[in-house]
Amino acid sequence: MVAPVPSTTAAVDDVFAILVLLTEFGMLRAPLLRSQVRLYAFQSLVVTALAVFVAATQHVGALYGLAAFSFALKVVAVPAVVLGLLRGSRTDLAGSSVLGVASMTLIALAVSAFGFFAIGSLHIHPMALPTTALAVSTAVILVAFVLIILRSDVVSQAMGFFSLENGVSVASLVVATGMPLVVDVAFLFDLLVAVVVFGVIMRVHHTRSRTLSTEELDRLQG
Amino acid sequence: MGPSVVVPQGVQALQVLTILLGAPLVSGVISHVEARLQGRRGPRILQPYYDLAKLFRKETLVTEESSWVFLAAPIVAFGCYLIVPLLIPVLTTYPLPLGYSGDILGGGFVLALAGFSVALAGTESGAPYAQLGSSRAMTFGALIEPTILFVVFVVALITATDLPYAMAANVRTTSEVVRPGHILAALAFFLVVLADTGRIPVETHTGTLEFGMIDEGRTLEHSGPALALLRWGSAMKQLILYTILIDVFVAPWGLAASGTPLHVGLAIPALLGKAMVVGVVFALVDNLFSKLRLFKITEFLAASFGLALLAVLVFYAGGG
Repeated sequence: MVAPVPSTTAAVDDVFAILVLLTEFGMLRAPLLRSQVRLYAFQSLVVTALAVFVAATQHVGALYGLAAFSFALKVVAVPAVVLGLLRGSRTDLAGSSVLGVASMTLIALAVSAFGFFAIGSLHIHPMALPTTALAVSTAVILVAFVLIILRSDVVSQAMGFFSLENGVSVASLVVATGMPLVVDVAFLFDLLVAVVVFGVIMRVHHTRSRTLSTEELDRLQG
Repeated sequence: MGPSVVVPQGVQALQVLTILLGAPLVSGVISHVEARLQGRRGPRILQPYYDLAKLFRKETLVTEESSWVFLAAPIVAFGCYLIVPLLIPVLTTYPLPLGYSGDILGGGFVLALAGFSVALAGTESGAPYAQLGSSRAMTFGALIEPTILFVVFVVALITATDLPYAMAANVRTTSEVVRPGHILAALAFFLVVLADTGRIPVETHTGTLEFGMIDEGRTLEHSGPALALLRWGSAMKQLILYTILIDVFVAPWGLAASGTPLHVGLAIPALLGKAMVVGVVFALVDNLFSKLRLFKITEFLAASFGLALLAVLVFYAGGG
């Protein structure tokens, strides 16, 4: 069986989605906390570029506004806040992953394969819905969970949580382009709340235990 | 009477000759550009030819422990590198008489045989560093195999065959190059070429420190014409891998669509030019990245496997 050739627009959408997934893999591997934040900023930039591309090709003007908002918040503000907190804590590396990098990559690959097969089992025709982008965004969400579970430091867990939102954004942009803008913006406000909560957690955790690692959290205090 | 054409057998022989004679030139250009990027004047572009000529004039020294395998290996490897250009699109878009006698896996097997014979000669020499190099080359070679296999799967998913000519034709005629599955597979293959040609971040190909050597280590004990064949062979291997990357995956343009002498004649500089551009990209990678520690190479190979696996998954998910 020969795989059908997708339209150029769908192919470019998919390339953006894949870039988001590859960045998620990069975040899984990045040892320095600040490089992880920068990768998140890059990932958000790709999502913003995807929003602009979809707005231009599908003629949905509202998406330009979403792209601008997403750029200001996810590419500039959130990374700036987290990098500021990191500078305050003077930490470059924290905690260690439970497994080696190669093993983590293989687990993440297995989990993304699960995402692809799960969407594949729905038997949706690629012409009806861009299944590749949907499968890739599912994989992004699952790999973000792997990042949260396997890395034992607050920054990775926060970044994993934030990038979950990027996965959802990709799905909403490609699969539900005509979704009301207010729903997309509501996602972003969810993110804003999460940033505040994680910011507070990072501050409190660092003040109490003098580290950003979560490995020590199972020890009883007092 | 129609325009004169070069007979297919002649074009096929030209394919082999282009790889045979063009490989040292491409190596020379890469070394020159690399030196310039590092602020050195660098060797002459034709230096590899002078080196080969010098080595062919020297005598061959063999350690007492070695058997005939040590001397036969460079010839076997060189023969293998002469066979592969028969199977891949080097100069033409249309398949030549022997083009379908082996698929991508067939070509891969022939390249693997060459690598195996050189590694065998390395262990045969009895020298510790040559053995170390051989052992490492085989270990990492085994780890690269899954990536190559998945790249072949992608070719099969795109063309329903595993023939390099069919894949090249597909890239030329459709919007194949922007397909994410295809981009991922090409990227995975790029990393494979990086590892297989012994370049940074896997190996410093110009290094003299034996502990960091992988491919280079295997040939430490060879000398004279045998070493010349090995050096020439490794330049040919490099050009063969570049040709597969260019003419099968990335840019199969500029190939001869017919057998007229003009078309075939133009295809030769087109290929060498494209190979030099790819070589410059490799030289840039060489300058921008540092060498990975030996035990970190598995991560690099895991990344290339990840890309190839994702390429297959993307196709599975709906047309990639």
